[in-house]
Amino acid sequence: MDVLDLARTQFAVTGSLHFLFVALTLGLAPLVAIMHTRHAVTGRPDHERATRFWGQIYVTNYALGIFTGLVMEFQFGLSWSGLSEYAGDVFGAPLAIETLGAFFLESTFLGLWIFGWHRLPRWLHLACIWLVTLTAYASAFWIMVANAFLQNPAGAVERGGRLVLTDLGALLTNPTMTMALPHVIGASLWVAGFTVMGASAYQLFRRTSEREFFTSSLRAGVLAAFAGSLIAVGFGYAQFGVVSAFQPDKFKQPLAGPGLGIMIGIGQPLQFLIMFVLMPVLYWLPRWRWAQPVLMIVTPLPFLTAIAGWLVRENGRQPWLINGKLTVADAMSPGLTSGMVTLSFVGFAGVLGLLAVVDYLLIARTVRRGPAAATLGVDEPAGPTTRAHALSH
Amino acid sequence: MDILWLGVLALLLIGYFALEGFDIGLGMLLPVLGRTQRDRDRIVSAMAPFVLANEVWLVAVAGVLFGAFPEIEGRALFGLYPVVVALLVSWILRDAGLWFRRRLDGAAWRAAWDWAVCAGSYGLALSWGMALAAIAGGLSGPPVGLAGLGCGIVVAALFAFHGWTFASWLLPGQVTGASRGTGALVVSACAAALPVAAPLAVLAPWLLGHAAPAETLGVLSLIIAPFTPLMVGAQVWTWRTFGPRRAADRTPSFF
Repeated sequence: MDVLDLARTQFAVTGSLHFLFVALTLGLAPLVAIMHTRHAVTGRPDHERATRFWGQIYVTNYALGIFTGLVMEFQFGLSWSGLSEYAGDVFGAPLAIETLGAFFLESTFLGLWIFGWHRLPRWLHLACIWLVTLTAYASAFWIMVANAFLQNPAGAVERGGRLVLTDLGALLTNPTMTMALPHVIGASLWVAGFTVMGASAYQLFRRTSEREFFTSSLRAGVLAAFAGSLIAVGFGYAQFGVVSAFQPDKFKQPLAGPGLGIMIGIGQPLQFLIMFVLMPVLYWLPRWRWAQPVLMIVTPLPFLTAIAGWLVRENGRQPWLINGKLTVADAMSPGLTSGMVTLSFVGFAGVLGLLAVVDYLLIARTVRRGPAAATLGVDEPAGPTTRAHALSH
Repeated sequence: MDILWLGVLALLLIGYFALEGFDIGLGMLLPVLGRTQRDRDRIVSAMAPFVLANEVWLVAVAGVLFGAFPEIEGRALFGLYPVVVALLVSWILRDAGLWFRRRLDGAAWRAAWDWAVCAGSYGLALSWGMALAAIAGGLSGPPVGLAGLGCGIVVAALFAFHGWTFASWLLPGQVTGASRGTGALVVSACAAALPVAAPLAVLAPWLLGHAAPAETLGVLSLIIAPFTPLMVGAQVWTWRTFGPRRAADRTPSFF
């Protein structure tokens, strides 16, 4: 592998890892916010348990979204300094706005939400999770604006060998963004819905004492997945027109073609399964023991299609980094060596890969131990006694 | 307009050192100040509610660099390649320690992640020292060297002092055995920010010469300005909520 392939692989691996966690974050955030709203309005303890249990899964997943996101943000400068050199005046703007106007707030409010249990007034604490959700979606918007610019550099012209921003409206209404953003959001809801559904099926299959809790969450998960899959599939097909207009050769790329096959080959039957099988029997579904292993087995599928979707979008852009303007080869930092990329790749992929595995095991463990063992927002003094108390309830 | 965004960049970078500096410092001091697991839990609980609000300042620095000083972004990050990689790996290790240490019950599990917090914090401080030394040298020499190491030790010492002061301010007489007022915390914050404020002042003209064009900066200002009250408010709210007037021991600690 030459240095260019190495740098591309590094970006693909860290980017895919990032999206794996971010998709679940985006999808779970509104679900947790809705649970918290029900808890705040009714004051019922079962809604509080649901908020804390799914909230703990949400924040455990969130951690890896941060770790992988840090690498993503700095990787632009490390490996692709030609991008900021040539197009930073345009491409940098949405990224700067994302960090300042969205993620800065998201991180601060997430801290207030996680550590604000039993300390913040009820409605202000609730406002925190809604602000986290809102800013997460604002983040998704700005990232998609930046990504869409790479697919179709709208709103900019080349002046003196650099791109300059001439039309903010065109940058923000890029057709490769307006169709793709709902697609990504739908896919995220689908991922989260299936995670909630699969975790609930597992608990019901084990016949734990939490039957009521997971019966209602299984239904909620299928509902979220139904909404998400409709949006994802609808806006997925809607993108064919945009792609053929701006990137007619997109699906001829070596990975984009098969990626599209995986996305549609799995996504379409799965969406039909939700719409025509799971939804009509939603009321009875949680009681059917034979169905529970099936629901568990299909849980990872929307994650797989989500990654395939990004492979299509990004690989289909090759050899361009900015479609028709700047090739990936020209954007690579001049002087970057195989040794440098290999070393950082081993470091990033090794550390992030290991942490991703640990994180998924911790999420699985949270699911297995059920809502009684959730430690998020436990009303006890900090210290080693926390867990013992949580278990004795 | 370019002066405004230079100010934003400087504020974020100085703010990062002044705020995240005490988290990094306490991470380094974790085995020293926390001889028992209970003490270490107490230290981590003290800094935990602030970490997410503090570390995000550096994320914002990178974003502003990309949006408002794009030429510098590529040149600086690439010029500091091994240091930036070390900084990121250390940062991830420190954060993983914080997020994961309480997720399993075993004593060995928590102790192992406490070491990750400590090692990651040292890595962060030393990487920053090397980065600052290389930037002060105009990115001309190799980014890793003896001067960088010396600078790293200075940064580490200042962060440790800041972390110690923060613990004495939030938990007076408990972790460090000392009590410090808000004035002392402001002084130690200034001390922690000094290593980055000095090079910033020297490099200001160079940065100004590489700012993005007025169109880009205008768009950034237009969109970010409405959010600044909320950003400031959220930060202030964090300090009001988790400050020393409410006993930190009563925080349901997740980290």
